[in-house]
This record gives sequence, C-alpha cells and structure tokens, in this order.
Amino acid sequence: MSEIVVEIKGVAKTFRDFWLRPVAEAVRGVDLSVEKGDVFGLLGPNGSGKSTTIKMLLGLLRPSAGEIRLFGLPPGDCRARARLGYLPELSYLHPFLTARETMLYYAGLSRMPRREAKARAAELLETVGLSGAADRPVGGFSKGMARRVAFAAALVARPELLVLDEPTSGLDPIGTREVKDLVRRLAAGGMTVLITSHQLFDMQDICSRVAILSRGRVVGGGRVADIVERAADKRHALEDYFAEVVA
Amino acid sequence: MRRFIALARTAALESLAEPLSAVVFLAALLVVHLAPVFHYHRFGDAARLPRECGLSALLVFGLVFATSAAVRTIGRELSSGTASAALALAVPRWLFHCAKTAGVFAAFALFAAAATSATLLAARTSALGAEIAATGADVRIWGPGLAFGAGGTLLAFAAAAAANRFLRWRFCASACLLTAAAQPFALVMSVPAGGFAEKGAFISEAVLLLPSFAVLAAACLVFIALAAALATRLDSARVTAALVSAVLLSFFAGQVDRACPAAGWAVRSVLPVLSDFWTADRLVGGGALSAAETCRLVASAVLLVAFWLGAGSALLSRRELP
Repeated sequence: MSEIVVEIKGVAKTFRDFWLRPVAEAVRGVDLSVEKGDVFGLLGPNGSGKSTTIKMLLGLLRPSAGEIRLFGLPPGDCRARARLGYLPELSYLHPFLTARETMLYYAGLSRMPRREAKARAAELLETVGLSGAADRPVGGFSKGMARRVAFAAALVARPELLVLDEPTSGLDPIGTREVKDLVRRLAAGGMTVLITSHQLFDMQDICSRVAILSRGRVVGGGRVADIVERAADKRHALEDYFAEVVA
Repeated sequence: MRRFIALARTAALESLAEPLSAVVFLAALLVVHLAPVFHYHRFGDAARLPRECGLSALLVFGLVFATSAAVRTIGRELSSGTASAALALAVPRWLFHCAKTAGVFAAFALFAAAATSATLLAARTSALGAEIAATGADVRIWGPGLAFGAGGTLLAFAAAAAANRFLRWRFCASACLLTAAAQPFALVMSVPAGGFAEKGAFISEAVLLLPSFAVLAAACLVFIALAAALATRLDSARVTAALVSAVLLSFFAGQVDRACPAAGWAVRSVLPVLSDFWTADRLVGGGALSAAETCRLVASAVLLVAFWLGAGSALLSRRELP
C-alpha cells in the first residue's frame, strides 16, 4: 500500500468576524487523501474553498472542525512542513531582493548550507529560464517572471510534497507549457504534487487524480484515467465531468 | 540559526531599502553636524547644544525610522503574503517574529552608531570653535569638523548614487550604509594630531557621552519591539497611533505615577519611562552617568524588550493568515 502524504478528514472552516459571528463557511466537511507520487488536482470554481483547504494544510489557517495530517503529523509541526514546497496563488516575493537573493533566502529558511544554496539557486534559475535576470530585483519583473522565481523558490529545498496554488496564473501559453512539463518531470522523479487550478484542460494532462470542490464540499473526483475512459469527448473529458458535477 | 540569519538579514535590508530610511539618515545626521553652525547660546558648556541635538535626533528620528521599519518588515509582510510564503515552510512563528525584529534592531543599531559618531564629532567641533573664538578670532566653526561631517554625509549619498548608476547597488540601502560608515571615518579623521594631551580631551568626552547614547538607544529598542508586536495584529496606521500614544505615556509616566501610583506602576511594567532614559542634563559641565545606573537602565530595557518579543510571538502564533 502506498504511503499517504496528505490526509484530510471531515475538515470544515468557518470564518468569523471580531465578535466571533460566522461570516462565511468556506469549507464544509472535506475528505481527501493524497498518496506518495500522486499529481493530485484540487479543482473547483472561484470561492469553492480550494485555497482555504490548502492554507489549512499548510498550518496558515486553523480548521474549525476535522483533522489534517501531513506526512502523518499535524500541519503545525515543522518536521512535516520541512518536507514541502509551496507556490502561493500570488507570487509573494520581496521586491528589493534579486532573483538569486530570493532563492538564497528560501534556501536559508530550509537550513541549506550557503555553498549548496548558491549552487541550487543557479541550477533552479537555469531551469526556469531566468539565469540572465538572476541579479535583477524581482520588483521589476513581469508577472510571468515573478511566477517563475516563486516556482523555483518552492523547489529550492528539494521537497517531497509540492503544493502549487494556481501555478499557471499569469503565465503565457509557453510558460504554461513549461510549468506542465516541469510538473511532469518532478512527478516522474517521485515527487508528490498537490495542485489547484482553473485550467481544466491543463489539469487533465498532468494530474493522476482529482477532487472537485464546490461551495466548500467535495462533489466529485477520482482517477483522471477513469474519467477520460468514461467520457464521450476524450479531449475535454475533465471539463465535461467538472461541468456535470458542479452543475 | 540559518533560518534566523536569513530572516534577520532580509528584515535589516528591507528596513534600509526604503526611501524613508535614507531621508531619515540624511536629515538626522545633517541636523547633528549643522548644530555647531547655529550655535547662538552655549549655556556655559560649548558642547551642550550639539550633544543634546544628537540625543534628540537619536530619539526622534530613531523612533520614526524604527517604527516604520517594524511596521514594514512585519505588518506589511503579513498583509502582502510574503510572511505566509515563509511560514508555510518549516519556520516557527516565534522564530519568524524574533528574527524579523532582530533585523530591525540591527538596522536601528546602524543608525544609532552613526548618530553617536556624528554627535561626538559635532560636540568636538563646537568645543574647538569656542576655544578659537575665546582667543578673539571671529571663528565660530571648526572647519574640518563640518567638512568631514556634513561633507562626508553628502559625499556618501553621492557615492551611493554612483554605485546605483554603475554597479546597480540598491540606492537607499547603500546610501544608509555609506552614510553610517562615513561618520566614524569622519570622526577618526578629525581626531586632533599631537600627543596624548590633545587626544585625551576627545577621548574623555566620548567616554562621558557613550553611556547616554547606549541608554537612550536601549529605550528605542523597547519601542521597536512594541511596534513589532503591535504590527502582528494591527495595520500601519493603528500601530503608528498606538506607538505615539505609548511614547507620550512614557514621557508623562512621572506625572501618571504621582497622580495614580497603580497606573504609574502599570506603565513602568510595560514601557520605558523616558524621563529616566533621557540623561543629557547630567552631562552638563562634564557630568557623567554612573556605570551602575547605565547597567540598571539597560537591564530594565532588555527585560521590556524580552516582554514585547514574547507578546509579539504569542500574538503572531494565534493569528490566522488567510
């Protein structure tokens, strides 16, 4: 049996105001499990609770109910978080740091020795095609370039689990294709990937399993190969399935 | 330790890389260096006005610089999401808070060292100007002091601009660093040539002045730690308002103490009483701050810093980061 990397059981999240009155019920009893080596797509329309679920998994938000285990540990445990890389929905970078300094900053946060960090930064900037801009401040980068730096930063510590929140947002078609190819290569190397996206066509290409969220609940999902096999239009199988279960 | 260093170094750089930081460095140091020029009253003590001007610059400009830096490095990071990107990794929240605050402390230490060097130079400039004036010559300013001090500060800014143009260095951060480096350099260059007697007056003045700067800087560190703790929960406008209130409260802590001892005790438990930390009046006419009192004041500031660091860490630990 394959190792369970992420286990989410009956998780709910209700946002409350200053007076603790409920404001929004973002997630309502979600159950998920991601196995080692999976490329798991967490799909859903805007406001369906994808990002909230991911933030609970990363320990940035506390669930109102339910249980989350990351590598068998609670998400607040640093031993669990040391094994993951995270690409946020927006590329949160320090604008005054150069691309290389950004990589060294994230390498420092993962306690990587300085010499190894420098080599890793150069290698990853080469991988994302930013070697030529390595010493420019990221504040002056285009959205696509910033996205590539953030992607490289998520990989700097050689994580076992890569959490990608809308990885292709802001990227042009070529950048999107490069990200897809990179995710495929990482998955082939044994990395587990948890990915959220609206680009269902792209997700069909790279995900091995998906779960579809709508209004805070899991309304569908399964192995992508099975969904494609059942579909009449194989090319748009995931889009058709998504429309069916969300509707 | 690597995580702490990575976070603290970024926070220090962020503190210095803002235009406001360069403006504060330039304004504070020029005010100190130009104090001997506008020297119309000596109060029987030639170095008094530059000395008090330097201490005031450390307190006022230091608080402006440090508050804005603390709000930026913690508050703005939390609201912009860069903090979430770091805290999603194996970074405990208390470590994040303490390291970020330590980075702001380091940037403030640079400012405090520059202000102290500038004040020593300005005080010496003023004293020598008074000696020359006493001989009957109509000279009020000791030229080399002004040239090395104010000129060096402006030259450092020009060097930062050149480094930005030709080497792509960050202008504001390098302006702050070069300006701060110029101050001790100017101070060393202006030490009078000659034997021990000539240098002796200079050194004894420095020995008298340094404890006062150390004590006042320690009080500023408490306010930085307070601003950092507040920034974990409040936006920049609210942090600024709360900090201004805290500074005013600590100014008038003596009066509060007399009116209501319980309230005075409460204020003393969480804030430095600025009237205790303002020791400029004791330096008049060659007076000094005793070593025991210096240690007592610095120790009380260290305890308050520890209290606010703990409070900030606890507040951040309980905060959700949507």
